[in-house]
Amino acid sequence: MTHHPKERWNSLNRRGFVLRSAGTVAALSGAGPLLAACGNSTNVPGTTGASGELAGPGGLPLARPDRRVTLPRWEDPIESGLKPETGGTFTVFNYPAYFYKKLLTEFGAKYDVEVQVTPFDNINSGLQRLASGAVNPDVMEITPDTLDIGVAGKLIKPLNLDYIPNLKKNVWPQLVDPFYDGESRYTVPYTVYATGIAWRTDHIKEDIAGMEQPWDIFWESQAYSGKVALLSENRETIGMALLRKGITDINTEDPKLVDQAVSDLKELYGICNIKVDDLQYQTVPEGSSWLHQAWSGDMIAGYIYYLPKGTPASALAFWKAPKDKRPIQNDCFAVCSTTKKPVLSHLFLNYLLDNGVAYENFVDFNGYQPPLNEIDPATLVQKGVVPKNLENCVLTDDDLGPDSLQYGTLTSQGQRLWEDGYSDFLAGGGS
Amino acid sequence: MYRRSLWPALALPGVLWLLLLFIVPFYAVLAVALGTVDPVLFQPVPIWNPLDWNVGWLSEVLSRLGPGGIWFDVGIRTIVYVVIALALCLLIGYPVAYYTARHAGRWKAVILILIILPLWISYMMRMLAWVNLLQDNGWVNQVLMFTHVLSQPRDWLGGSASTVILALVYGYIPYLILPLFAALDRIDRSHLEAARDLGASPWSAFRTVTLPLSKTGILGGAVLITLPMFGDYYTPNIVSSSPKTSLIGNQIDLYFHGGPQPTIGAALTIVLAAFLLILMLYYMRSIHRAQREAGTVGAL
Repeated sequence: MTHHPKERWNSLNRRGFVLRSAGTVAALSGAGPLLAACGNSTNVPGTTGASGELAGPGGLPLARPDRRVTLPRWEDPIESGLKPETGGTFTVFNYPAYFYKKLLTEFGAKYDVEVQVTPFDNINSGLQRLASGAVNPDVMEITPDTLDIGVAGKLIKPLNLDYIPNLKKNVWPQLVDPFYDGESRYTVPYTVYATGIAWRTDHIKEDIAGMEQPWDIFWESQAYSGKVALLSENRETIGMALLRKGITDINTEDPKLVDQAVSDLKELYGICNIKVDDLQYQTVPEGSSWLHQAWSGDMIAGYIYYLPKGTPASALAFWKAPKDKRPIQNDCFAVCSTTKKPVLSHLFLNYLLDNGVAYENFVDFNGYQPPLNEIDPATLVQKGVVPKNLENCVLTDDDLGPDSLQYGTLTSQGQRLWEDGYSDFLAGGGS
Repeated sequence: MYRRSLWPALALPGVLWLLLLFIVPFYAVLAVALGTVDPVLFQPVPIWNPLDWNVGWLSEVLSRLGPGGIWFDVGIRTIVYVVIALALCLLIGYPVAYYTARHAGRWKAVILILIILPLWISYMMRMLAWVNLLQDNGWVNQVLMFTHVLSQPRDWLGGSASTVILALVYGYIPYLILPLFAALDRIDRSHLEAARDLGASPWSAFRTVTLPLSKTGILGGAVLITLPMFGDYYTPNIVSSSPKTSLIGNQIDLYFHGGPQPTIGAALTIVLAAFLLILMLYYMRSIHRAQREAGTVGAL
């Protein structure tokens, strides 16, 4: 059962209480009895879908690598064979500096539009801005775990794949028809990345890859205090603590498991004065961070852009767990409901899946790998794009599949559980 | 009649400004904090009618801030950091303001410009500049090692409380010095001369004349810097990134950053504002008392 936003399902009506108490307003110190009388009105009922299973936003089923979901189309896609719109501006809603400006300009020149990028801090806040009408982009980046919000909120449009032939032609088979968006009804993939550990070999003496449980290195990093960091992402951080204990359900909504993971993370305060940030692509190559939870693309970008002159590539290292024990994610692009250029938006999605465009965007700009068949580790090493010691940062289609681990959409309760757990960790107290 | 209506009329722009740029936005935050959340889009749904307010989020925030709650430590830490940073700002800023006001002579304008100059660059850029300077091989360590203050580089950016506090001091001290300078500059020299004529030592004259007369400047400067310090999240992020040095502003930032519970962020903002209101009331009471003691006729 889903709730309509107007139902105020999360509220307690204050009207009766206040009228009966003759409108007494308590000072903050006296608010305790008043608030206690109201009870806890933040309780969230579990959201279930039509089949009775837990569901995400809008009652949409929760997709998992072994549980493929085909999302309902809330409107018909545009017709085939239409001419692209020209003139005016074309807006890409994206992380800042995530798409090569040169390629955007070339796209704009081809279709006589001025391409502009409207940045967001993260996809969740981007979706909220889109929903509020604060922005009116044509296309936006989105991730599988936020896709339900985009679809349930009718923020993104169903696709007509006739305009996107590069999807079937160039993209990994597993992502042509992904588990989170069966038939690619709403999205095309953009980049793919696995989560692992990045470190400086000239500072970290341990053989991390040879450890029985490499994630334990964070709990044994006393010697590197102040130089150790985790990703500033609640799913990745708590997920890492789960994986360290051998728990591979990284979409768990069990409060006991999440609480234990947070408790384990808090041990790191005293062990290594753990930091949290998303600057690993810069800080590890520059040497200000020696050990960092990282995404696979970070070390490639770091090697290409941030490694100081004179520092050998061998100073960087990356480890990722075997396929069934490590998170792998991809982000996507979608056509926004606010677009005034739906045909051109489709063509843009096709453009970013062009082999040449995607390769140039990857190698010459953002360092994050597009999931294209033409890009394989051996070729990149042979071309000198990626040094041999970072070959494991390059992923292949085999890294995906029903036995892979991916962060998926959670129920509302689950999202709150993880957010509150991360808040507890970030507060730095009570370790 | 003309005189009686003139002064209130001149206050009208200020009242309108207060209404539009403070009261209305604050009420909007209150309506969000006591509202609900869209279960699909996780957008805050404000409730404008006070009779329908939902206090659950507020209750949740208060329980987290209370003893044993997950935010108790970070709340105490925030207060401690702000108090220490304020004390350091006063310790460093007061002599600077005093010298500029009383002894700088023809260099007064130059010193004031030098104090204001860093403010021409955004706060973010200034903090990023400090990140560069505080690197292991940065200028700060190089100078300190050259002068034998340190025998090896200190890890300034490794998540230490002292770096965060010093960054807060650096970021906000100009806002303390300026109102303090204005208050000290206004002090009539004849008061000091009278004190000296009556046999007071320089220290006594300072303690019994200058310091009390500069109280409004101290309080004004303190308010100007502590209010934003309490909500600061950027400084600990930039120079530390360690949870052990995070402030309450970091929690507000977390919940406002597109997660499923923006109402928690709004409720925490309201609680913080209520706490700061208590400090503001003390400030207003002190100013009123100081004005009465100085013989100024006025009423709150």
